[in-house]
Amino acid sequence: MQILQYLINGISIGSVYAIIALGYTMVYGIAKMLNFAHGDIIMVGAYISFCVTSYLGLPAWVSVVAAVAVCTVLGIVIEGLAYKPLRGTPSLAVLITAIGVSYFLQNAAQLIWSSSPKNFTSVVTMKPISLAGGKIVVTGEVLLTVAACILVMVGLTLFTSKTRTGKAMRAVSEDRDAAQLMGINVNQTISTTFAIGSALAAVAGVLLCSTVPTLQPTTGSMPGIRAFTAAVFGGIGSIPGAMLGGILLGIIETFSKAYLSTQFSDAIVFSVLIVILLVKPAGLLGKQIQEKV
Amino acid sequence: MLKIEDMHVYYGAIHAIKGVSFEVGEGEIVALIGANGAGKSTILKTVSGLMHPRSGSIRFCDQDITHVDAYKLLRTGLAHVPEGRRIFLQMTVQENLEMGAYVNKEVSQADLETVFNYFPRLKERRKQIAGTLSGGEQQMLAMSRALMSHPKLMMLDEPSMGLAPILVDQIFDIIKELHKAGTTILLVEQNARKALQIADRAYVLETGKITLSGTGAELASSDAVKKAYLGG
Repeated sequence: MQILQYLINGISIGSVYAIIALGYTMVYGIAKMLNFAHGDIIMVGAYISFCVTSYLGLPAWVSVVAAVAVCTVLGIVIEGLAYKPLRGTPSLAVLITAIGVSYFLQNAAQLIWSSSPKNFTSVVTMKPISLAGGKIVVTGEVLLTVAACILVMVGLTLFTSKTRTGKAMRAVSEDRDAAQLMGINVNQTISTTFAIGSALAAVAGVLLCSTVPTLQPTTGSMPGIRAFTAAVFGGIGSIPGAMLGGILLGIIETFSKAYLSTQFSDAIVFSVLIVILLVKPAGLLGKQIQEKV
Repeated sequence: MLKIEDMHVYYGAIHAIKGVSFEVGEGEIVALIGANGAGKSTILKTVSGLMHPRSGSIRFCDQDITHVDAYKLLRTGLAHVPEGRRIFLQMTVQENLEMGAYVNKEVSQADLETVFNYFPRLKERRKQIAGTLSGGEQQMLAMSRALMSHPKLMMLDEPSMGLAPILVDQIFDIIKELHKAGTTILLVEQNARKALQIADRAYVLETGKITLSGTGAELASSDAVKKAYLGG
């Protein structure tokens, strides 16, 4: 029974990673850059939600909407100010800038909200469900997180496969010049991608802090790195890959904490990643790009 | 229709196009021929806005398009089928065509039918992933994709590259058909013989400069062209 409980917890935290990883993977797929500031957008989203509920006393759903709105705008602004001017420069320059943006966001949060941790109140009010005579407990947070994750993944898949904008994103992801020759505005497409990725990060931030209620300026960095790992694990650039990678990572992490060692759980997670990448360098669902010349 | 004057293009410090001027009149087939590295593709990329010239001017349908970005140009009726086809390999044939019609907002069934009339094979394969098509089919798809936007001028970069002779003939027949249907063509080719056969006029490009120009027939019989590009 205990093992089932761990599995449920693992899927729950894994779903948070999956939502963050979806943002990483979309931005990587379309803008061809690793946005290391992505994790810190999560933190900003959580703080906005916290402020709206704790300081303004508004209902939880309003705080989620506010967090999504602020993070969407923040994502577009960061892309426009920090990354867009570097379009066409070596990817290392963009990567370093992303790390800079990450520190900037953390330090800005420290100035605004101080470095002392805030106690985040969960946005979920549902009572936990007990199964198997109380041996397994499914909290409202778990249900909401898993539901949100499935919803986000189905939504993104439909968006990229059915809509005009979504298809344009895939076109930009495959061949930027050819996409321009189709009349697709690449800058605008990349900006939209950042908006979507950052909105997802806000959702992930609220869910993360509802499960793990300590909120501080560095809250986003570790989940951000784990989600990045999850995206690589599943095959970066692939939407189902990010989802699978996130959930597997969550499960592996929970099981290693439960059965092996709490201190070494990250080391174990990353070792698994290394082994997987040795066997499948493109990640679990990564595409082996076939090219015909 | 298209008028290029004294265009200079650089790749960093490398002076790739050294003052090229030429024009394409409405209803013409104009060919640019020349060896590898002469700058043929660079000229097309610069015209379509993927690159910008350092000096000189490009006018299309009486508009100055010298510094217009690539994504805006398709709306003015200028389509570019790039070298190496550059179709979206992970998308289906149908989706590639939809991307070609991106500027029309919606894909009209009539446009699809027109394209499938030219290239019936694509109709059979419309659900197939473009990366699984043969080289010839990919070239057909690249041309179809460009046709979806109803271009006035279609620039084709090496449409015969890497294709079997029978397919080359087929592609050139279709270029002639498109031309008959009213599309002006600017053709860049290494296959000089083929290009000169169908071109009304042609320019010979050597290391970034135009060295010869004339009608297709004139150039095909010129000694200099024969020696350098037609194998004696």
